[in-house]
Amino acid sequence: MSKRVGIIGAAVTPFKGTWREKTYYDLAQWATREAVKDAGIAVQDVDAAFYGIYNDIFERAAIPEHAIHGLCGMQNKFGIRISTGGATGAYTMSAAHAYLAAGRFKTALVLGVEKATDCFDFSSMSATPEVIKSIGWSGDSFFEQPIGWSASDSYAEVVLAYMDEHPGDLKPEITAQISAQLSRQVKTNPIAQRQFDQVTPEEVLNSRMVVYPFRELEICVYSEGAAALIFAEEETALAISRNTGKPVIWITGLGESNEHSFVGTNQKNLARIMSDYYASHKAYEMAGISDPTKSIQVIELHDAFVHQLEISMAEFGLVPLGRADALIEDGLMTSGGKYLVNPCGGLIYCGHAVGASNIMSAWSARNELIDRSLSTALVHGTGSTIAQFTACLILEHE
Amino acid sequence: MTETKIIPSEYIPDVGSHTVTIDGRQYLISNDAMYTFYRRTKGEFSQFFLALRDERRLLGCKCSKCGLVRVPPFLTHCPDCNFAPTELIEVEQVGVMNSTPPITYFATALFQHMAPYGRGRVIFEGADTAMSVNLYTTTGILVPGMIAQGTEVKLIFRDRRIGEMSDVFCVPTSELSDDQIVKKGLLESEIDWEKPQEPVLPHPAEADIAVFEQVFSEIRAIIEEMDANERAKKDIAGWKRNIAVRTRGGQFGIIIDDGHIRVEEMTPWSADFVMVCDDPRTLLDGLAYRGAITDSVIGRKLWISKNTEFTTIFKFDRMARSVARSRKG
Repeated sequence: MSKRVGIIGAAVTPFKGTWREKTYYDLAQWATREAVKDAGIAVQDVDAAFYGIYNDIFERAAIPEHAIHGLCGMQNKFGIRISTGGATGAYTMSAAHAYLAAGRFKTALVLGVEKATDCFDFSSMSATPEVIKSIGWSGDSFFEQPIGWSASDSYAEVVLAYMDEHPGDLKPEITAQISAQLSRQVKTNPIAQRQFDQVTPEEVLNSRMVVYPFRELEICVYSEGAAALIFAEEETALAISRNTGKPVIWITGLGESNEHSFVGTNQKNLARIMSDYYASHKAYEMAGISDPTKSIQVIELHDAFVHQLEISMAEFGLVPLGRADALIEDGLMTSGGKYLVNPCGGLIYCGHAVGASNIMSAWSARNELIDRSLSTALVHGTGSTIAQFTACLILEHE
Repeated sequence: MTETKIIPSEYIPDVGSHTVTIDGRQYLISNDAMYTFYRRTKGEFSQFFLALRDERRLLGCKCSKCGLVRVPPFLTHCPDCNFAPTELIEVEQVGVMNSTPPITYFATALFQHMAPYGRGRVIFEGADTAMSVNLYTTTGILVPGMIAQGTEVKLIFRDRRIGEMSDVFCVPTSELSDDQIVKKGLLESEIDWEKPQEPVLPHPAEADIAVFEQVFSEIRAIIEEMDANERAKKDIAGWKRNIAVRTRGGQFGIIIDDGHIRVEEMTPWSADFVMVCDDPRTLLDGLAYRGAITDSVIGRKLWISKNTEFTTIFKFDRMARSVARSRKG
């Protein structure tokens, strides 16, 4: 029988557009230092490390985790890196959970770190084109990279296919309102890259078109930073909780799904994010949730794009497919609404330090469950071409 | 044939470094690159790419058991039929859009020269899966609405082909003649491409000149504010452009010079590119963050002489946002 696993410590460094004062070595150690401090344990008490680092090119090193293992005090212990595109952080938590649930270890460090914006395009003298070029190496190298595949145009394909099926949904005024709301929510997140960048829906609609149908203020921003969690199996988690006085946040459900990367008959249905559907529903099943609309209170959702946030909420079963605009129109995610969606500001306003992002989301969900005395949260990570990969976790505060 | 390098020289920085000062301490930043060259195996895809390059034919693979035709032929055995073998077959060069394609206006460093471009998935006649292709219009800049789900498109072959997916692209069949639509292996040079021509502005009335003078003074004020704004200055660090701006009521120049920007009453004698907008308020609104200049180009309210200068247009939009953010404090 598998063991229960919970989160007993967490920390996130500030997310910034660029960290000139630190390399990813120190960002990783900083988050680790603070996470073990939060758990009230010494790093020597941690049995294994799970690293979420998306992209070798960002860190400018293959196997970038090799250096941080010893720096984080994990020398001579188990260490493994997970890399699954945008879903790296969520899959890293999933992997760590599996090892602890199987009884291999009592405690684990789950560490995400990314140093994205050292990439620099000397032809336009700016970082962003080179950052997204680096991500562009993640597309299919035979059939899609040579014709300009990018993360944005790949997710836009999914969004536009959804809009073909549901032409009345994802209205521009609604996506603009969601972005503006996220910008208000980020104001209380002290580690956010855009903590004080509050925008109006009109400003969102006036921001430039980057990739149709995405405007600049509807897209996540690339960040640098690190996030760390300390996981423990039940007996150890409860002992640590008694010591710190902080409740254990239990990981009661997990689900993962990777779709086809090609489109058409027997391949991916471009109008759906079935990976979101399968992963969330597997997580509900594991957690014993029969009706997520009655159970889920907090959603920390990987909002690479506002439009995709809406589709993901529909795939989670929290709003009807084709009626995702009800999130705003029916007040489901507005202030005081049924769902607390991305209280951290999401990746659009808190920032997207890819390997660290979903781990930051779990940090935020844990904070919300404890601070607001709520019971259940859904944490989500999406990634790869055409929203191919998803991992979801259910967190519970008993 | 012009020989080109795998990495164009403008992407390659000089060896060097610089420092930035943060909270009184210096930090070192070095120019660097992580490069690897390949002699890349095309393996089982070789016949597909060779058919594009040498024969101007489009191949797919058909499962010997279920009959599913995959284009491109991305596998040799069908995973849905316990790995039954597939065989290469030729498919038609006309198809329909599987879904509405995105249009990239802000491209990665590798594809800025190509923007704006569409990339979408086409189900060619005879195929069951969709192939990813670039999409263009023969009539100028591709804008939303031109190509949508179900639009019929035709595969076009580049004149110079190297055995890559970039050897082909698609245009709507509605822009081609019947003969062109049925012809297999149609070349880009066989199509009439609308040449970018600078719009001819009507002769100004006195009222147009009065509007221009008012708007020009507002543009000057905004650009002076940009030049004094630290965020906006960073947006154009290292960037240099001389821009001629023509409107119905008058013309002027905008000079971007490595972190500085200014307007000049005369258009520069050697402009890097030309911006033309009938109503100067179009540009003013963009600079004042009342709508993106990018959108004005897409919506054909503002014409630029070189699509590659979308990069500069983005910098204008970014500066407008930087100033707006600074005003908020």
